[in-house]
Amino acid sequence: MPSITVSYHDLCRLLGKRVEQKKLCNHLSMMGIEAEAAGDEIKLEVSHNRPDLLSPEGVARALRGFLGIEVGLPSYGLRASGVTVEADRSVKSIRPYIAAGVVTGVRLTNDVVTALMQVQEKLHASLCRNRQRGSIGVYDLDTITPPIRYTTTLPDGIRFVPLDFGRELTSAQILHEHPKGIEYGAIIQNLPRYPLLIDSRGVVLSMPPIVNSEDTRVTENTKEFFIDVTGQEERVVNQVLTILMTGLAERGFKLKSVVVKYPSKRIRAPDLTPQKWRLSAHNANKTIGLKLMPGEIAKIAKKMRYGVAKTRGDVLTLLAPPYRTDIMHEVDLIEDIAIGYGYDRLEPTLPKVLTTGKRAPIEKISDKTRRVLTGLGFMEAMTYTLTNPRVSFELMRKKGEAAEIANPVSEEYTIIRNSLLPSLLSALRENRRNPLPHRIFEVGDVVVLDEKAETGTRNVRRAAAAVIGDNLGFTYIKAAAEALLRELGVAWEVHTARHPSFLDGRAAELTAGDKRLGVVGEIHPEVILGFELEHPVAVFEIDLE
Amino acid sequence: MDLRAIIEGLSFQEKKVLITLQELGGGAGATDLARRISLNQSTVMRAALGLSERGLVETQERKFSKAILLLEGQEYARDRLPERRMLVTLAGCGSESIEEIAARATLNEEQKRIALTWLKRRGWAEFLKREGKTFLTLTRRGDAALSRKTADEVLIELLAVEERNVDGLSVDTKEPLRILVGRGLVKIDEETRRELELTPLGKQVLEQEIELVEEVSELTHELLTSGRWHKAKFRRYDVVAPGTPIYPGKVHPQQQVIDELREILLEMGFVEIRGKIVESEFWNFDALFQAQNHPAREIHDSLSLSRPEQTKLPSTALVRRVATAHERGIPGSTGWGYKFNVDISRRPVLCSQTTAATVRYLASHPEPPAKVFCIGRTYRHEKIDYKHLAEFYQAEGIVMDPDLTLRDMLGYLKQIVIKLGLPKIRFRPGYFPYTEPSVEADVYFPEKREWLEVLGAGMFRPELLRPLNIHHPVLAWGIGFSRLAMIRLGIDDIRDLYRNDVEWLRSRRMV
Repeated sequence: MPSITVSYHDLCRLLGKRVEQKKLCNHLSMMGIEAEAAGDEIKLEVSHNRPDLLSPEGVARALRGFLGIEVGLPSYGLRASGVTVEADRSVKSIRPYIAAGVVTGVRLTNDVVTALMQVQEKLHASLCRNRQRGSIGVYDLDTITPPIRYTTTLPDGIRFVPLDFGRELTSAQILHEHPKGIEYGAIIQNLPRYPLLIDSRGVVLSMPPIVNSEDTRVTENTKEFFIDVTGQEERVVNQVLTILMTGLAERGFKLKSVVVKYPSKRIRAPDLTPQKWRLSAHNANKTIGLKLMPGEIAKIAKKMRYGVAKTRGDVLTLLAPPYRTDIMHEVDLIEDIAIGYGYDRLEPTLPKVLTTGKRAPIEKISDKTRRVLTGLGFMEAMTYTLTNPRVSFELMRKKGEAAEIANPVSEEYTIIRNSLLPSLLSALRENRRNPLPHRIFEVGDVVVLDEKAETGTRNVRRAAAAVIGDNLGFTYIKAAAEALLRELGVAWEVHTARHPSFLDGRAAELTAGDKRLGVVGEIHPEVILGFELEHPVAVFEIDLE
Repeated sequence: MDLRAIIEGLSFQEKKVLITLQELGGGAGATDLARRISLNQSTVMRAALGLSERGLVETQERKFSKAILLLEGQEYARDRLPERRMLVTLAGCGSESIEEIAARATLNEEQKRIALTWLKRRGWAEFLKREGKTFLTLTRRGDAALSRKTADEVLIELLAVEERNVDGLSVDTKEPLRILVGRGLVKIDEETRRELELTPLGKQVLEQEIELVEEVSELTHELLTSGRWHKAKFRRYDVVAPGTPIYPGKVHPQQQVIDELREILLEMGFVEIRGKIVESEFWNFDALFQAQNHPAREIHDSLSLSRPEQTKLPSTALVRRVATAHERGIPGSTGWGYKFNVDISRRPVLCSQTTAATVRYLASHPEPPAKVFCIGRTYRHEKIDYKHLAEFYQAEGIVMDPDLTLRDMLGYLKQIVIKLGLPKIRFRPGYFPYTEPSVEADVYFPEKREWLEVLGAGMFRPELLRPLNIHHPVLAWGIGFSRLAMIRLGIDDIRDLYRNDVEWLRSRRMV
């Protein structure tokens, strides 16, 4: 989950009320925001679906409703700024969408700057998918002469001084030399042209989604922001702009709209129209398990910052604030009603759903296997299914095929095991300093490739056992394997077998009819030494399916 | 003190030692006792220890020096000292040459040398040189010595009978002893001697009748079948003494917690189902209404496979319904609003959530009631360290029935927690991409004295249910199994959930 850090004092200032820190954290937790206080700082964990809570302004806005300080739909007196952005034809195949807005009456304090930096970073990481789907630019409007052009340039087509860099670079150089270019360059480096935002006098604002220019940077004297969001998805760029601007409005700054002219259409941004949703009180009560009157639901909805346009009988028409990007269905409103009502006030109930418990058949067999083998004095081991070809095949002196991981974390875990034997031998290696003898077993899944199976593989439950040390050789392990098969009610046969992991003449195959059950034998010296063991080892492996 | 009870508690050896000690006058050294009972000394000492623990005997250790006649000394004890033999021969033949006397006394060269040295030193003979030969003549002192043994000769005879405690010898043997030691005929050994003495309680016990019956250490087949066991007295074991520990074969600690949880869920009427290790992205994500561009589906979160390359999709109708729910939603829902790609659905992935198994179950069992659970391994793109595993267990379940509510969900969570033996649970809003409303439950762990987040739950979103043709509410819950198991097992390093050190496994008490 994304996390942000807010200042307790800043949060109280935004709330317009001082709430004791511990109580505040508790309220936040009951809103679904995990809060952990350390001094003046509060660390908040915000769920993925609520990017509107990635700033102290957004959190305060929700808290004001939850605490009843200010309820209902927040209103934004959006006026036209007169600024236009002209998006030309060339962006269509490069980074097609832009949304922009103006914020006036800005007073920059440390808290504002810190929060603004943080919200951009967090939105970039979450909703914007590391700037892929959207990227934000904030500029000092005074340094810009509108109209602004959203266009593209050849990699060597233009030079400008990128932010925090002492000299001019070409776009291509930025990707190689500027820290942000190195970090995010992959998004555009294979494109024939790079996105560019430039004003009417030729001053570069930014090269989205990489970096802004030094010329248009925001300073402590900045009074008016120009904000843009560019990206691949129109919905996302609008959402990001809305979240960013409505957050700033919580500081008392004024929001103004910008006209974006595409070759074929013209839009006004940001779009702060509330979303209209219908909520049935019946559905809410049925889902949560309450008996609330529509009036009570309306009151709770306002607490959660919804506007209530009208209530007709059972059905409420709610106005969801424009920054709420997570609402997709009536159930999302219902959850908000439950949160507004208070999870701590919901009494658990236990319904009578009449069913009979039943163990999975394979687990029943597995349990029985565990009983037999622990009864014989074997100790159960539990190992990873993730392994590598060296352990699975090379050390076992055999060739084999297994499901392979495309993006392994380490060399050690690159395939899924297709036998339990290497796992058990590794477990014996883990015990090589312990006094002998050892008798261990494992009951677990392996994965075998199977073209006919739906996922191209099958889980196969197996049981395997290994013994090392004096007087525990082939005869003993074979007797143990047969004891298990006998208890499992299998009519088995034993055949001489050759197997590269076993000593020649000391390996046998276990079968039932024409089904192969498994193997039993004494491990080949090369395998023993390969697993750094120095005593004879005998093993069996049996299919439990 | 019940004297009979004391006697009852005595072993055969102990009784024997006690009685013999009385016969020896109430006190004796262990060596003497052993000789008397004809047992070895360690058996006697073991019995003595038992007796002294019961307060019947007092044992004391004494260090002393012992004079022991060596082999050469023993020879002389038999044949007399070389100088004595020469003296006696000399007395028989008057003055003679050394060679003649030595021959008559049957002394070898070495003995001759010793004899001459001592004859001279004691002044028993005069040495006279004549015609190139040395002649011996008996002196008055020599004559006197014929009828009287020297002190060292007396001592040799004494030591030839038995070893003697040096402290027990008279003061005038000090010098002869020093000489004999110097001559290499006697050695002095330091020894520890254990002495046993009856206590007043011991004497009281001995006034009772003590029956001596030979003891048997093992009950044997022969004793049993011959009926001799009737008369046999079995040696009493020291049942209090600690022995070497043995350990049972055990189920692995993590498996023990799995079994415990499974038992609880079965008791609650849940049916167990089994998941797949390799899943399709369709069942692992798409069917759960997790958008194809959701961050959890990115390369650094789940483990994808290069082999097999593809999986087979279920019926096209089902895939189309799921795709539509993603793209445009279901009635009443907006959907995610992106272009669904079935090639992504076909990609295999290592199961990252057991929900894949429960949703597969729902798809094939759309009619209520349903209560199923799955405890299975799930996989994440994670470096293994003390806090993270790349593969770990998840326990997850669902309940489908008409009229289920969020409060019912809380009821199930509460019941699971109570059955786990944990006293307190509290609820707060949570977020999971496929449930709405969602809930997080914190559980209070008395042993850790803290609230920990171990349960997540919610009601499946309609966008998940409708494409599967399910029209009833479905409650879904998941347990943070690793965390629960770590607390249950009292371990701090998550890797210990897969620890296979046999000594460690033996030492862990079963849960």
